[in-house]
Amino acid sequence: MTAATTAKTIDPNANTDCSAQARSARPVEPLIFEKTVPGQRGIDLPPLDVSQYDIPDELRGESLPLPEIGAGEVMAHYTHLSNRNFSVDGNFYPLGSCTMKHNPRINEWGAALPGFSQLHPLQDDHLIQGALRLLYETRCFLQEIAGLPAVSLQPAAGAHGEFTALQVIRAYFEDHDQSQRRLVFATDNAHGTNPASCTMCGASVIAVKTVDGHTDLDDLKRLIDEHGAENVAAFMITNPNTAGLFDAYVSKIADVIHDAGAMLYVDGANMNAILGKTRPGDFGTDAMHYNTHKTFSTPHGCGGPGAGPIAVTEKLAPYLPLPQVVMDDDGSFRLEYDRPKSIGKVRSFIGQFSVLVRCWTYIAACGPEGLRNVAEKAVLNANYLAARLQHKYEMPFFNPGKGKFCAHEFVTVPRTLLDKGVTLVDIAKRMIDYNIHPPTMHWPVHDCLMVEPTETESKRTLDQFAEVMLQIADQIEKDPQSLADAPTDAVIHRADEVAAARQPVLVWKD
Amino acid sequence: MDYTQITADEQANMLGTVGVQSIDDLFEVIPPEIRYNDTLDLPPAMSELELQRGLQEMAGQNHGSHDMACFMGGGAYDHFYPVLIDQLISRGEYLTAYTPYQAEASQGSLQAFFEFQTQIARLTGLDLANASLYDGATAVAEAVLMSLGATRKSKVLVASTLHPDYRQVLKTYLSGHDAEIIELPAPQGRISAKAVTATLSDDTACLVIQSPNVYGLIEDWESYFAAAHEQGNVMTIAVFNPIACGLLKKPGECGADVAVGEGQPLGAPISLGGPYLGLFAAAEKFMRKMPGRLIGRTTDAQGRPCYCLTLQTREQHIRGAKATSNVCTNQGLLALRASMFITALGPQGLKDMAEQCYHKAHYLAERISQINGYSLKYEGPFFHEFVITCPKPASQIIKACQLKRILAGVDLAHPRMGGISGENDLLIAVTEKRTKHEMDALVEVLTEVTS
Repeated sequence: MTAATTAKTIDPNANTDCSAQARSARPVEPLIFEKTVPGQRGIDLPPLDVSQYDIPDELRGESLPLPEIGAGEVMAHYTHLSNRNFSVDGNFYPLGSCTMKHNPRINEWGAALPGFSQLHPLQDDHLIQGALRLLYETRCFLQEIAGLPAVSLQPAAGAHGEFTALQVIRAYFEDHDQSQRRLVFATDNAHGTNPASCTMCGASVIAVKTVDGHTDLDDLKRLIDEHGAENVAAFMITNPNTAGLFDAYVSKIADVIHDAGAMLYVDGANMNAILGKTRPGDFGTDAMHYNTHKTFSTPHGCGGPGAGPIAVTEKLAPYLPLPQVVMDDDGSFRLEYDRPKSIGKVRSFIGQFSVLVRCWTYIAACGPEGLRNVAEKAVLNANYLAARLQHKYEMPFFNPGKGKFCAHEFVTVPRTLLDKGVTLVDIAKRMIDYNIHPPTMHWPVHDCLMVEPTETESKRTLDQFAEVMLQIADQIEKDPQSLADAPTDAVIHRADEVAAARQPVLVWKD
Repeated sequence: MDYTQITADEQANMLGTVGVQSIDDLFEVIPPEIRYNDTLDLPPAMSELELQRGLQEMAGQNHGSHDMACFMGGGAYDHFYPVLIDQLISRGEYLTAYTPYQAEASQGSLQAFFEFQTQIARLTGLDLANASLYDGATAVAEAVLMSLGATRKSKVLVASTLHPDYRQVLKTYLSGHDAEIIELPAPQGRISAKAVTATLSDDTACLVIQSPNVYGLIEDWESYFAAAHEQGNVMTIAVFNPIACGLLKKPGECGADVAVGEGQPLGAPISLGGPYLGLFAAAEKFMRKMPGRLIGRTTDAQGRPCYCLTLQTREQHIRGAKATSNVCTNQGLLALRASMFITALGPQGLKDMAEQCYHKAHYLAERISQINGYSLKYEGPFFHEFVITCPKPASQIIKACQLKRILAGVDLAHPRMGGISGENDLLIAVTEKRTKHEMDALVEVLTEVTS
């Protein structure tokens, strides 16, 4: 194959030779603590312009044992570290369930405007009308996209949104003399945050079976009978579900849950697949969360920050957390604190404001047709890749001949390849040699890769990815052992994660 | 502009590969009765130039620390941070990477977080720190939840001088749990040894004390935490300000088991309250009970040092309902900012910053208390923030100062601050950024307001 240069620097000619010669060691970047030079300074402050006041000895602490580094070395250190990272900017990053789409820089530019970034959260409303307008409009956008009448922008992340919404549901039931409703159902393939959020709320979780990724409606009915309809608070589902499939029976699920007097909660992690195509509010959802860092292109930043706004029905709206941004009749905006039924605060101040600036910017850029196109292209890209790979990588839920398509991501359990004597980790680590970030692994089912290309990738990147995956399959068929040392062309060879957990070293000791 | 990159020709080709006629075929699975066939009621798509105009217009309607002298604190502080942070953090390799699940493709962020954990452990004087939580308030709530599990006890002792948002968030977090919050009174702006010893009991799971507290006053962590440890099996939780650690005694020096706090002062813009940075440090014995991600040092197949996520069996994606927390997405980029901030300033810079905050705040407090009608409300030692009782409602003083482009402080009677004080009480914060000129201007306006 000839060398090709793409925006995503997938390297089809990766050096996968694991001979000792090829495994020339890449330099290790010393820790910042190992670079300290006593007396060195990075950035200093202007001289003190007032007189000194007495600092009592009993208040003074010991000096800080932190490194002393010059400004040039600071730049070098973090530049070198950045070179040791894969990213959406530089790599194909098809991490299923995480929606690693392009992060437009206009979003960053907007969030960094001093008129947004330099506002104190306790300022009077009349000084921050532009910011409150942006928040109010974001609220309206998210209500419209969800097809639900109320949104809270407070939650800091998806899991925080789940926690907040479960508290809102609990407050509703307590207010309606049904405080015995403490059971929350969640599908057995739910994101780990779903049950963990229940625990944080003090609720018990009951797992509902899934069949081919879909909720088993009979099991749901059976569990409701078994535990008593009057004890069920909510059912948490993801739709499209965690197997990357739209749950066609979702309205029936909603009916069953509503007949039990409980609420349907939708984990919005996979909203990217249905933007403008269907709305959670239209299929019976009572509460849901968004992940702005998935659906609305706010950057993942090595793990955060994100934002997890929640959308709810009219009857749950009074219980949303404080404060709520509202518009008064005169067209001015304010933060409302006087909401007697509210669950109170779930975080300090107003929310992940600058993340929401990015969210607004993205939705405004796309517009209604654009959002619908996002869903269409996300689904197209995933189905195209699945179709190209299905002959070598078995896909339990994908069979276009029988009308079984995926949504925005697909699951492969490459059984035939694994049976040749490689592990899933081997396959994933070999992808790193090709400058591709491995997909999500072992989730939602064991031995699977979950691939989510997103709508912002070019066909050229998709094609190169497909070529690479077929090459890897070829390598496995010829010499499965050749993958055992992968990655051989990355900044490090395989990390010993078992040793890390057995004897944890979490801080540096000089 | 929706950032997609598939042309019509490519789409036709791709549909052919899948074996369908149209995009609609791929959405057939959505039953017709719940398909959305309308157009979402959203403004029409905007080009980047229109977005620039629109954003600039909305940003231009706001006033803040960029065009006013900011004396506001109350949990968010207008500190200096070097430009190199913005420059480095906007590198796509940091900005657009995910959680470092794949160690070999994420050594940059993993090493940076390992360094962050070490820096926060050293800043707090504790053994360990995690790789971040959402903010100071949720970090407090997570620490208290950890104490309930670790001690199997149910009474949560909280200083009433803890920030009102933090107390409210704690209340929300504990509302579904079998736990009771007991607030320690603080008639003189600080809690007392008497109240602490009288309230500690066999059922006490934890003692939570913020210092400097919500009024800016320094609490006596050392003796209260000693009393708690004497009681036995009580987790001592210090809510700290990372800038104060450059000068004052650190949580670890005062007997804290856990230190939690708001990391925003470490290089994050005030940004109308978020995203901020939840700091969480603890003694080694709590390692396996800690919430949030932890990065460990290990070696690669060639024996070279490297880093990876570790102790993941505590976390939601492995442990589900039995996880130590539900946190998944954290504040990675803010943790990186904080790490860069600490590195760029170094120990001397952090000490200088803390001392300048202290001296400037004391200068301003002295000047204001000399104005007729104004007095320092509390006598205790303070760091960079203090309460002034004004001759008029604080809200009026604040409005008057706004006209002179000064954000005079925080109105403690407003619901935003939980109405924790009388209407004449104004909370003023002074960071190293405030100049003598700005402080003298504030003194001048305050003088005029009463004359």
